[in-house]
Amino acid sequence: MVDVTMNAEAANHVSLSYWQLVRKRFRANRYGMAGMIGCLIVLSCALFSGFLAPYGAQSKDKAALYSPPQTISIIAPEGGLTWPFVRGFDEEMDPVTYEFTFVPSDEKIAPLRLFVQGEPYTMLGIEFTTHLFGGQDGAKVHLLGTDGLGRDVLSRMLHGTKVTILMAVMVMAAACVIGTMVGVSSGYFGGTYDLIVQRGVEFVKSFPDLPLYLALVAVLPRRADAAAIFVMFAAILVLLRWADLARELRGKVVAIKSVDFVNAAVAVGASDGRIIRRHIIPNMSSHILVWATYTLPEIILLESFLSFLGVGVQLPMVSWGSMLNQARDIQALTAAPWLLAPVGMIVISVLAFNALGDGLRDAMDPYSND
Amino acid sequence: MTDTLLSVQNVSVQFKTATGLRQAVKDVSFDVAKGETLAVVGESGSGKSVTARVIMGMLAPNARVGEATKVVFDGDELTKFSELQMQDLRGRRIAMIFQEPLTSLNPLYRIGDQVGEIIKAHHKISKADLEARVLRLLEEVRLPDPKARLRQYPHELSGGQRQRVMIAMALANNPDLLIADEPTTALDVTVQAEILALLRDLQKSHNMGMVLITHDLSVVRAVSDNVVVMRHGEVVERGATQTIFETPSHAYTQHLISSEPKGEPSPVPEAAPPLMVAENARVEFTLKQGGMFSRATTQLVAVNDVSVTVRKGETVGIVGESGSGKTTFGMSVIGLGQKQNGPVTFDGDRIEHLDRQALRPYRPRIQVVFQDPFSSLNPRMIIRQILEEGLIVNGIGATASERLALIKQALDDVQMPHDALDRFPHEFSGGQRQRLAIARAIVLKPEFILLDEPTSALDLSIQAQIIELLRDLRDRFNLSYLFISHDLKVVRALCHRVIVMKSGSVVEEGPTHEVLETPQTDYTRRLVRAAFDVVA
Repeated sequence: MVDVTMNAEAANHVSLSYWQLVRKRFRANRYGMAGMIGCLIVLSCALFSGFLAPYGAQSKDKAALYSPPQTISIIAPEGGLTWPFVRGFDEEMDPVTYEFTFVPSDEKIAPLRLFVQGEPYTMLGIEFTTHLFGGQDGAKVHLLGTDGLGRDVLSRMLHGTKVTILMAVMVMAAACVIGTMVGVSSGYFGGTYDLIVQRGVEFVKSFPDLPLYLALVAVLPRRADAAAIFVMFAAILVLLRWADLARELRGKVVAIKSVDFVNAAVAVGASDGRIIRRHIIPNMSSHILVWATYTLPEIILLESFLSFLGVGVQLPMVSWGSMLNQARDIQALTAAPWLLAPVGMIVISVLAFNALGDGLRDAMDPYSND
Repeated sequence: MTDTLLSVQNVSVQFKTATGLRQAVKDVSFDVAKGETLAVVGESGSGKSVTARVIMGMLAPNARVGEATKVVFDGDELTKFSELQMQDLRGRRIAMIFQEPLTSLNPLYRIGDQVGEIIKAHHKISKADLEARVLRLLEEVRLPDPKARLRQYPHELSGGQRQRVMIAMALANNPDLLIADEPTTALDVTVQAEILALLRDLQKSHNMGMVLITHDLSVVRAVSDNVVVMRHGEVVERGATQTIFETPSHAYTQHLISSEPKGEPSPVPEAAPPLMVAENARVEFTLKQGGMFSRATTQLVAVNDVSVTVRKGETVGIVGESGSGKTTFGMSVIGLGQKQNGPVTFDGDRIEHLDRQALRPYRPRIQVVFQDPFSSLNPRMIIRQILEEGLIVNGIGATASERLALIKQALDDVQMPHDALDRFPHEFSGGQRQRLAIARAIVLKPEFILLDEPTSALDLSIQAQIIELLRDLRDRFNLSYLFISHDLKVVRALCHRVIVMKSGSVVEEGPTHEVLETPQTDYTRRLVRAAFDVVA
């Protein structure tokens, strides 16, 4: 038949699926790629915190309380280049103000070494003792200084990444599942069910967030162990986070369920469950993914804020927020400003996740044409 | 051509996409003289609209215009104009009419203000003069009751009336050149003819040059002086309209001209038993009205006492303008969409009272093909999954390989290559997608198919192929169709009997040739004239 070649705008160009197209468009977006790299760094900090951190989260260096950050130097005291090293501090007390000052001392040189043996930690259930870096012969290195108990700020920050990111991912995932289930079912089935569910969503949304978090956290049993509180704290965040997604998805589902391919599925006899699984949710996936990347940084901020106030993650767990809790009073802050280091991590991760979300949203926009 | 108004030379346009550069237009040149109508013809994707946008300087940001491209308008080279100079030109000397009258008017402004704005943008004019001029324009485009329209909003006007307003806006400053981009495609057939006649008359009285972009050859024949035929971004043939239609030289042009649906359905045996019978179907919509304290509901009767009998192997057409209730009726018969209470008998079984669950055994036997092939295929599924779905949910074919064999058979039946299986719907053109949608229906081996305007979203030349395919399938599998359409040309080629609907009621019915040759009502006569004469 001549007609096939005559009219069929022959599909001779490269065959790309939707996700391949998204990947291609995303790669061309520099800001998004930078965000993704940032996210990967933050995530690997969380996964390999034991290896990356030179010390455990609780180990104390009694010889260095409120010790300031050490700078890595590659110029030897006697001149010339050498292997990177840090200088220890001489503590001196000002006889007038009784203030401690820390002076880097050329006598206390600690050369840095890669893959040193140190405190044991577990990863994937296996015990390791190798750390990425550390001082030669067990010499103490505190690149970001120490806190009032002599704990290494860098190490605690890396361990805190694990807790913060775990919290964010857990809350995001749970809110995602609940929001998707509620939103999709409410949009798809409509009617009275939809009416009731959406009033429920509005009810949740109309709570004043902050007082509610504080009140709910106050209800948590103080005696419970930190892990249990951590889970309950996450549950509270989930409770107030799924509503947005449910409402957004409901609107999209209402629009998509009247598109002909859904009618066609009804016409071949597909059940509701199948239509939701095979037709509705795949067409919602890009929206859900973008929502997830935007929600993650919000939860990081919220967790940090509540833990900073002391109502979130409880000791002995460390998170970025609970570390900031130590820098609450002005004295500690002026004496040891390096305790604010987790703020840097928070800013980096929030920016990175937002950039990733922006990039994904642009890449998934079916109407963009570049 | 003595008095060249517009000269388009070597236009090339590329689009930058994620998959690389795509050539949309390649080396297109043509001239338009004062008072001449040039038709640019081609299927969708042939680059005709992009060419028009080059003239207007209104390309999408990812477009790259070739270096040799030159657009000369009345002695000035537009390609060298600044954006500010183009702004002054647009709407004053070159005007454009778009395809979609429903979206090209701003819903927040009154008609009078919208037309007036075009004049105000280019001239200083007093308020009273402006209103008088707008009124004159609306009279010129034969908008009924123009005085009242001044104060109305776009949603209060019908599609045809909105297109008239668009034309008034285009004429507001007496342009020298009018570019009409598929001005009638989105309109009802009967309205199309009126709009075309209007355009032709206005072009004559204003002595404008006109570039008419269309895929519809009957429009070209009725209106244009010269024709340029485009395909894949290139000009394949050009010449006077008369010559092209009488002696087309390029194979593609010949194909386009000969692609009107032809032939007649082969007769159904007298003894064929009735397969699908719907009697006195009535569909009502409840509309809510009034405020919170004066809540009132009105019943809108969308389908009023319509009956139809489709025998085995027979095709019954339902025709009517948009809003006549033909699709609502068709969908309610097969249990999709709005419910209705009249008795529906399929192969001896009453099915109108069955719910979705109970209808399932009948689903593979009763299938449907939708109007728009772009929305009827799930964009996230590959073709294999789309075709397989019906087999899986109905338990046809025990193993994956058995199902694959059935799917391949269905692809053969609709004349699509097997390598389509692993591709996504967006990789296919409209006609190919409609073939795939038909394959989804026939893979289930149905006895009855509801065809809801299966050709109206397609280019004309592809329509003919789809009709050919449907006829072929019907004869091979002894299928019965209920065919919904507004296009009597297509109906003549496919249907044994036809029902004419208007505002939810049947106005005429009978064997196709009787209804088309000796229409009994004015409404049917208008539809027939619109389909076969184009410009009255």
